[in-house]
Amino acid sequence: MNILTIPLRNLRRKLARSLLTAVVFAVGVASVTALVELSKAVGESLESKLAAYGANILVSPKTETLSVGYGGMALGDVSVDIKYFKEDETLAAIAGIHHKDRLSAVAPKFVLLARVADTPVGVIGVDFEQERQIKSHWFTEAGTLSLDSFGLLAGSEAAARLGLAPGAVVPLEGRDFTVTGVLGPTGSEDDKLLFADLHALQAAAGKINRIHFVEVAALCAGCPIEEITAQIASSLPGADVKAMQQVVKSRMMTVDFVKHLAFAVSGVILLTACVMIGLSIFSSVNERKNEIGLLRALGFSKGSVFLLMHLEALLLGATAAVIGQAAGFAASGRLMALLDLGEQAAPTFDPLQFALVFVGVAALTSLASLPPALAASRIEPSQALVML
Amino acid sequence: MLVAKDIVKTFAGEAGNAPALRGVSLAVAAGEFVAVTGRSGSGKSTLLNILSSLLTPDAGQVLYDGRDLAAMSARERDKLRATDFSMVFQMHHLLPYLTAFENVLTPFLSSWRPVDAARKAFALECLERVGLADKAERLPGKLSGGEQQRVAIARALVTRPRALFADEPTGSLDGSTGRQIMDILSDLNKEGLTVVLVTHEPLYARMAGRLVEIADGRLAADNGTPAPAPSRTV
Repeated sequence: MNILTIPLRNLRRKLARSLLTAVVFAVGVASVTALVELSKAVGESLESKLAAYGANILVSPKTETLSVGYGGMALGDVSVDIKYFKEDETLAAIAGIHHKDRLSAVAPKFVLLARVADTPVGVIGVDFEQERQIKSHWFTEAGTLSLDSFGLLAGSEAAARLGLAPGAVVPLEGRDFTVTGVLGPTGSEDDKLLFADLHALQAAAGKINRIHFVEVAALCAGCPIEEITAQIASSLPGADVKAMQQVVKSRMMTVDFVKHLAFAVSGVILLTACVMIGLSIFSSVNERKNEIGLLRALGFSKGSVFLLMHLEALLLGATAAVIGQAAGFAASGRLMALLDLGEQAAPTFDPLQFALVFVGVAALTSLASLPPALAASRIEPSQALVML
Repeated sequence: MLVAKDIVKTFAGEAGNAPALRGVSLAVAAGEFVAVTGRSGSGKSTLLNILSSLLTPDAGQVLYDGRDLAAMSARERDKLRATDFSMVFQMHHLLPYLTAFENVLTPFLSSWRPVDAARKAFALECLERVGLADKAERLPGKLSGGEQQRVAIARALVTRPRALFADEPTGSLDGSTGRQIMDILSDLNKEGLTVVLVTHEPLYARMAGRLVEIADGRLAADNGTPAPAPSRTV
């Protein structure tokens, strides 16, 4: 028995009212938890869907260009030094950045300019698995899309221009590559190019372990793209790392909108819940003026009375925080399923987040119960005497 | 032990200020049993509340062992009520959600420190003292009016006070139960506890060693010491 005895017993005595107050507050906490979880999942889902439409960071070797002109006529820029990346070192450096978990795809490229049937064409060596992460819109009329070691995917325009169809053999740098599919029109530069397996093309060109540039798709829900760009640049001093700002900004705006909406609704719900707790404690103080007067007559200080009322609110808040978070997680799981956010979208229990919400709810409850607890502590024994 | 000098107290009411005490002086020695009587509205309860530090007089002084109660801080007065003074009211005012035993321990429930075994044992002794040890685990709702008042007396004793202030403790009880309560108070006084009792029952008042009568806010009679001449008139 100690100072917790009175608030605990009083809450138990008025069990129905205590539970109702806790449940209403828990509904507020559950809504907030569900909204936060949902906004996280929606954000990540949007990000992964948006990331499927292309990379948002371009990593290329630094090149020095020289503007050439003569006799007042500009002759254009000439690359003084064409550089390659070493594939293994570059990919390892990118994979080693602090925000590596936020990278959804790292797609290295090797570019070869070739002639096919006397027609010049660009052939891009790609890591097919990574490429598909950022080119999910690729499709073939046959329906299947694959790229084996000496396979070749032809862009729609390139196939038409070169007369390529599945099964056609294309010699590149002395090696035969077989067309495994013709890509449907994408409206991008991909339509004019051929795509081969990265390592097969490197080997054919005699440029093992060489790549020209890397496209990176970063998931930026909660992480600034600038930080990722800076981390890659720091890991690759010889690289030119560019964030495709337009793409990034539009993605971030979508995600931010969802988040801001969720937080605005959460704020209103929590404010309402706080007012409810405050009113509940006010009502409790009014009902228990006699009891408070008696306690003061028995020698309880103002501080002790304040603490008693405060503890009662905190106990309600703590109960609501636990019930609310559990219900919020369950509700967010159901909502994610209803919204069809994908198989990977699921609420994730984070002990730190749980603790933070618990402390936050306790602090809010504490704040809400301040006015009634202060009012209770100001009841003078002489006031209560009139009633006693 | 307790000296009241020229106590004046006025309450503001709808019909204007209502004087409750008009210059009352009274000295209570340690170990005395003082019964304060008077008609309803005479000011006897107000005097008791001022003596026990629950009310502050508008004028005059209450000295406890030479210390002016009004000069003490609120915290010191709280401590005084928690240690040296105890109160018993007409209505027992037990906390309905605590058992009789827990109600007796209420004065110790203002701290984070759990109530220790010695205090618990003494609480049981106090319940035994009022004849309720066998009903220690009962909630107040399961006790009779007299039993509830006896629990309130046990609660008043658990802090080992020097003075017990009882305001009409028999007011809501039948004759025989009231007599039991008075016997307990009388016994406690014989064991050395100072008791100041407010009652309008002449029979119970006569059980006290000293009878003080308040009339119209003034000390009308005091069989222990002569009623001092009022030094001020309100």
